[in-house]
Amino acid sequence: MSMTMETGELINFHVAVGDHVKNGDVLFEVMTDKIDMEVEAPADGVIEALVANPGDVVEIGKPVLIMLTETEVMAFDFGTDNEPVAAVEVVAAPVVAPVVPVVVAAPVILNETVKAVPKARVEAANRGIDLRTVRATGPDRTIMMEDVNGAQLDPAIAKRQAANKALIAKGIEMTRGVAQASFTRSVKANFDHATFIAAWAKVLRNRPDLAVHQHVGVALIIESKYGSALPVFRDPDQANLAELTILVASITEAAKSGKVPVAMLSGATTTVFDLTSYSMSSATPLLFPNQVTSVTIGYESATTKIVSLTIDLNFCDFYDGALLLDALVASL
Amino acid sequence: MSDRMLTMAEAVREAMSIAFDERPEVFLLGEDVGIYGGAFGVSGDMYHRYGAERVLDTPIAELGIVGAAVGAALSGMRPIVEIQFSDFTAQAMDQIANQAAKIHFMLGGALHVPMVLRTPQGSGTGAAAQHSQNLEPWFASVPGLKVVVPSNPADAKGLLLAAIDDPNPVIFLEHKLLYKIPGRDPVLEGSTRIPLGVSKVVREGKDLTIVATGIMVNKSWEVCEKLAAEGISITLIDPRTISPLDMNPVFESVEKTGRLMVVQEGPAQAGFINEVIAQLAGSSSFGSLIAPIKRLAGMNIPIPYAPQLEKAAVPQFDDIEAAAREIVKNWR
Amino acid sequence: MGHPLSSPEHASHALLYMWRIRKFEEAVEDLFGRGMMHGTMHLSIGQEASPTGMCMAMTLQDQITSTHRGHGHCIAKGADLTRMIAELLGKKIGYCGGRGGSMHIADVETGNLGANGVVGGGIPIAAGAALASKMMKRGTVAVSFFGDGAMNEGAFHEAANLAAIWKLPMILFCENNKYGMSSSTEKAFAIDNLADRGKGYGIPAVNVDGNDVVAVYEVAQVAVDRAKAGDGPTLIIAETYRWKGHSRSDKNLYRTKEEIEEWRTKDPIPKFIARVVEERILTQEQCDVIQNEAIEAIKAAVNEAVKAESAEPSGLLDAVFKAVSA
Repeated sequence: MSMTMETGELINFHVAVGDHVKNGDVLFEVMTDKIDMEVEAPADGVIEALVANPGDVVEIGKPVLIMLTETEVMAFDFGTDNEPVAAVEVVAAPVVAPVVPVVVAAPVILNETVKAVPKARVEAANRGIDLRTVRATGPDRTIMMEDVNGAQLDPAIAKRQAANKALIAKGIEMTRGVAQASFTRSVKANFDHATFIAAWAKVLRNRPDLAVHQHVGVALIIESKYGSALPVFRDPDQANLAELTILVASITEAAKSGKVPVAMLSGATTTVFDLTSYSMSSATPLLFPNQVTSVTIGYESATTKIVSLTIDLNFCDFYDGALLLDALVASL
Repeated sequence: MSDRMLTMAEAVREAMSIAFDERPEVFLLGEDVGIYGGAFGVSGDMYHRYGAERVLDTPIAELGIVGAAVGAALSGMRPIVEIQFSDFTAQAMDQIANQAAKIHFMLGGALHVPMVLRTPQGSGTGAAAQHSQNLEPWFASVPGLKVVVPSNPADAKGLLLAAIDDPNPVIFLEHKLLYKIPGRDPVLEGSTRIPLGVSKVVREGKDLTIVATGIMVNKSWEVCEKLAAEGISITLIDPRTISPLDMNPVFESVEKTGRLMVVQEGPAQAGFINEVIAQLAGSSSFGSLIAPIKRLAGMNIPIPYAPQLEKAAVPQFDDIEAAAREIVKNWR
Repeated sequence: MGHPLSSPEHASHALLYMWRIRKFEEAVEDLFGRGMMHGTMHLSIGQEASPTGMCMAMTLQDQITSTHRGHGHCIAKGADLTRMIAELLGKKIGYCGGRGGSMHIADVETGNLGANGVVGGGIPIAAGAALASKMMKRGTVAVSFFGDGAMNEGAFHEAANLAAIWKLPMILFCENNKYGMSSSTEKAFAIDNLADRGKGYGIPAVNVDGNDVVAVYEVAQVAVDRAKAGDGPTLIIAETYRWKGHSRSDKNLYRTKEEIEEWRTKDPIPKFIARVVEERILTQEQCDVIQNEAIEAIKAAVNEAVKAESAEPSGLLDAVFKAVSA
């Protein structure tokens, strides 16, 4: 009998109660998973009792008959141990916070089924490219790296990214011609982008005399491998700070993947550029077209930041500039 | 040509002689290894230098002599057993696979088998089907055997010394065609070991990774040279020990080149080199592939006799060159 | 050891070891029937005199290789009973750590190079051990135990020839129990006398009653002396019989009840007891004590082994190779 067998069927007895048997005589037969087994007497003796009936399914290890013998028989009886079953803890899977969805224009689908080399799949996933929109030029119509690298993002986004590049270039060019002044202050404070742009927007709103537009739109420069993105946060000082924080975080994330919603790419009245991630202390902020103020945040030390402000002197004078920066620093 | 440009036969003989001198328990047994000097001239003059006590000529009895080697290894000796053609290891398979390979594990570590089985393999000498096989997968698929496939004399010397040191059974597969020619590099003086289980990056490149065994390393090297002149740079990796297999350089290289080609002499189906593909395909390096994995191997036929047929049965320089070119050109 | 009849100590040793083998095998049969042992068992009940007699002519350093029906060889050579049972029960302290089972038990300390699951597998290995002994001038002998069935394997032929041409200090000990699983020797051999095969190799061969521990010892000692004198191998054909089937799946369809009955009357143990009592080397009471000693030893071994820790799967990968020292 193999260890996998737990029961066997008793076929028949070859002996009766009272029979004298010798060592080796067949006592009964059992049907096993391999063949019918004859079970032999382990010693000379007398049959005392038959404990099971032919046709019964008997458990391995349980007695089938009892015989009396004067010989010391090598027989062992180990009770079955019932080991307690370890309690299994069911741990609820942690709930993942939903990501704020970003709306992007629907892409054009070229293929329903896609073959792509492994790295192309990885790259497309990283860049948010739907492989079905990529034209395959590799053997057997397989998408190669070349195809994915040349792949366009949503045309509207690509256009806006190109426009942003041009805007920055123009800004640099214009700045050379505009009369401007720059101011710098150290701030011993910690603040995130949402807090900063809300504070700046509030400062600006308090000076309607320096405004060119009705609203306040703070463009936050976010660099990624797709180039600079300038999502614009409208009237951030009037938004609920908690909601604004979530919005800034999700748009920053989206920008890093080249996926800023088109609607957020216009309406800037001022620009903020955070240099601290580059460990830079300051840079003279650039004025962008149609904007009269521009701010940079620089890194001085672990506890101190440097805020710089550039103003267009056609719209506000030195005194106003200093006041604006003071007010901003005070509110942080 | 410097006098250290030894042939593989000379390098193996030198390694065995060094081992003989270092340890009195090392001895060689096999058919025609003594007076005759070995069927391929590998043992050469060892019989005259070391005597019949240590270089034993045996009758034609592969099972018996490998079994005797196992028994001697269990009893404190370090036998090197030479089987005249790797095809005849079939005769000895019980002692190789059921005994030597399993003794250390089966016996719970109580005994071990420090034995080296050296044997010539491979096609190209017109010896036909039963004398030309490449049986790497036979041995590589048996847990408990180490399998070494040197591609050149310099490696053969260092690897054989390490194999003789190893307390486990090592199958050392020498290619017949390499016996009488020197390699690209001189064989080092002295007794430096090359550790088993360490792959060698023979050359580095950025366009393609080739992993090849045995004689295919040399053919692939020629291809690398030719294509380098055209600006295609290839990394060539020689595992040297096929079991245990060191895949680390392969993972690293594929992550840089994105293209993998594997080349072996033995028949493609269930061949050893498939192990390289299987491990790569299941690894995180899989995502770096920019092209399908290319496998070049022998046809699934016994080795034919006529020279043009014999050549056609296994990968040649032209096959390797064409495949390398194709994969680099067509997958971008 | 020495001749079983040469002293009460020697007689006690012979009797104790035969009882130890007998009781061990009976215990294994019981435990197996209870579903406590995995796989199958090949019992040697009825064959105890052969390994006992042979091993009494050997020292601890002399080596043996054994077969799938090898518990008797292991025990006769001095194996630890607890570790043997523990191995059969898949325990950590088993001889093979639970990784080998019944057919792969080896005991380095007692010169046991291992039982073998391949028929004839151990014969060339024993030749190799004898070769090593000769090359290293150790003066030890290697005994290969095998059955009648193995004599038709190529491994027997090749090993016997090597032993003969190299004059290896080896004994080829055949336990001829008349059956290779279900093939009787009448059907598997064209010769009647298996010892005739020795001539084919140039090896002296001798027949012996495998159930007479004294006779076995006597031919064994002659063979050992020959080997150690450098005169080469001997083929011993010991006629014996196994009471139980080949393995636990054997329904004995290939032999008759009468044959089994007849051989049970040639039980080697009562035969030896009768002799030592008659020759006044031991008393019946002393023999009974020895039987009890064996029973107690087996019981103790089983009880200890059953309580031992089971082998675990962790560490299996590291167990394949012996570590290379730096």
